[in-house]
Amino acid sequence: MLLEEIIILGTVTSLVYALLALGFTLIYGVSGVINLAHGALVMVGAYIFGALVGFFPSLFPAGFSHVAVVVLAVILTTILTGIIGSIFYRLTLHSILGDQIATLVVSITGCMLFAQLIWLVFGATLTARFPVNLFPGYRTLLGVTVLNDQTLGAVVSIILFVSLSIFIAKSRTGMAMKALSQDIEAAMLMGISVEGMYMLTSAIAGAIASIAGVFIASIAGAASGDMWLSALSISFSVVILGGLGNIKGTIVGAVIFGYSVEAITLLGGGGLVASFPFIVLIIVLLIRPKGLFGKHVEME
Amino acid sequence: MSVKYLRRAYVSFATHVYDVPPRMLAFLMFIALAILPLTQLNLTILERLTYANMIAILAVSWDLLVGRTGQISMGHALFWGVGAYSAALLFQYFGWPAWMTIPITMLVGVGIAVGIGIPCLRVKGPYLALVTMSLPLAVVGFLYYYPSAFHADTGIRLSALWPASFGWTGSFLANYYLSFALMAVSAVIIYKIATSKTGVVFVSLLDDELASKASGINVTKYKLLAFAISGLFGSLAGCVQGYFASSARPTAFDISLSIIPILVTILGGIGTIYGPLVGSYIYYLLYYYVFPPIIRWIAPSYAASVGVAGQQLVGFVIFLVIVIIFATRWPRGIARAIVDKLDDLQEAREIGEKK
Repeated sequence: MLLEEIIILGTVTSLVYALLALGFTLIYGVSGVINLAHGALVMVGAYIFGALVGFFPSLFPAGFSHVAVVVLAVILTTILTGIIGSIFYRLTLHSILGDQIATLVVSITGCMLFAQLIWLVFGATLTARFPVNLFPGYRTLLGVTVLNDQTLGAVVSIILFVSLSIFIAKSRTGMAMKALSQDIEAAMLMGISVEGMYMLTSAIAGAIASIAGVFIASIAGAASGDMWLSALSISFSVVILGGLGNIKGTIVGAVIFGYSVEAITLLGGGGLVASFPFIVLIIVLLIRPKGLFGKHVEME
Repeated sequence: MSVKYLRRAYVSFATHVYDVPPRMLAFLMFIALAILPLTQLNLTILERLTYANMIAILAVSWDLLVGRTGQISMGHALFWGVGAYSAALLFQYFGWPAWMTIPITMLVGVGIAVGIGIPCLRVKGPYLALVTMSLPLAVVGFLYYYPSAFHADTGIRLSALWPASFGWTGSFLANYYLSFALMAVSAVIIYKIATSKTGVVFVSLLDDELASKASGINVTKYKLLAFAISGLFGSLAGCVQGYFASSARPTAFDISLSIIPILVTILGGIGTIYGPLVGSYIYYLLYYYVFPPIIRWIAPSYAASVGVAGQQLVGFVIFLVIVIIFATRWPRGIARAIVDKLDDLQEAREIGEKK
């Protein structure tokens, strides 16, 4: 029973964590920018979605299906968050490309900025919870209770991973991104716009972050004012475990992280969940300083 | 004899402080801070300034580590929290007085700094930033896991720093002057370290680690030294602030305490040592006395509806925007930018005179 729980819940959690970290690793892989504002974009996505879902029923006639409302809200959320992420990147991080200290500092400041803005707009505090619900309810699989949102999150995560990999491998834009990650100057000589590509990457990463935020908040039942920090630390840890900028490594990192979190929770160490993943992370980093899969492997 | 020393002091002052406008500003601010309580005795202002002094020490210690050696720490709250907590635990379990706990706390801070510094030597750049950022978070989780031993929910009470005969106002004044003295001494010591031979080696680590290694510099030793100094002053600040607040809580490890030193350092100028000092006072000045009145003036009805806390929140948002603008326009800090600009003007003038 316990084993099944660990396996099923661990898989689901791992996939959601992978989704959370996907945008982060994408930006690093393409532009080498460590955008800590990713955590805030996750939170922005969750709050925008919650606001839209709360606002929509007054717009549509009664009897409009819940699924359609949710899908519409998710699409709008991803577009809005993508635009926000892209604009944030262009206004701040683009002018300090290559300066690592400045990038980290500016993006963590941006993270705080987004968090404070959300507190202002939604009147939230650190503890106030803002209800976010996709599809309430749960199913039972092999005697293990899995929330609908968790299942959906895992499926969406797989879909996004596969489609993003195909996008990068096959499409013209994706190949341009790959080219930029390999050699900026050569890519520029081929007529690729660095600014445009980086903004597009930030937009895609922001959109993915917002989807992750919707799922994270919905699984927890609500968005809260401090979710940016946990989102940031989880995605950062996952990405670092797998090696920065390596999409396949991200999945492995997420699996290690997700299973260890679920195992610790189910084995009764609920209180240690807050610190255990970091301990895993610190130990892994000390043994392999550049993540499990070495440094900045070419994007695949 | 004494005239000679005075002369030497004056020359040192003139070259190190008087000729550099931002440093002169910092110096004037020092003097203003020293005489402020004599002109006006407002306990709220004193308490806030006391806190600003402690944050200034933390920010300067951050600047020495990051601005000078380039080892990115995003978790300076660790030192602050370790300072507060080790003093509190020593008081709780052994009942030791402040004059014993503060030096021990500083030693603990150095120990922790070296302890995390040795393994952190292997990780660089963003990886180091992450490890340091996650350390305080891990410690907080640990504190809440053993709430009875660490009194995570209620916090640990610390003994009063001053005898009861000081009275309410007296202890506030004493707190203020103690914090001011600590701030001044720490700032001068760190500035001296940063301008000494050791400080030059620190900057060489930032500029080109490989080259410094090739020049026969023991990189490991100097990196650890930077960590140790930073941990020493960071834990001192946290410990003394714990005494001022007369309690230690898990909030001493809060992420905001890792970020605020970074914000004020960016505002004042990273790598300048005196920049974070100025930055931290500017931050608290803006936060308490500039933004709320402006918000009340521009949007009275909104300000009334959100209250003072809401006004400070809006102010903080404006402050963050300012910091982002500063950090992206002048990545090396506003003080550096001004000095560079003045140098350029000077050069242009000299060229003009020659013609």
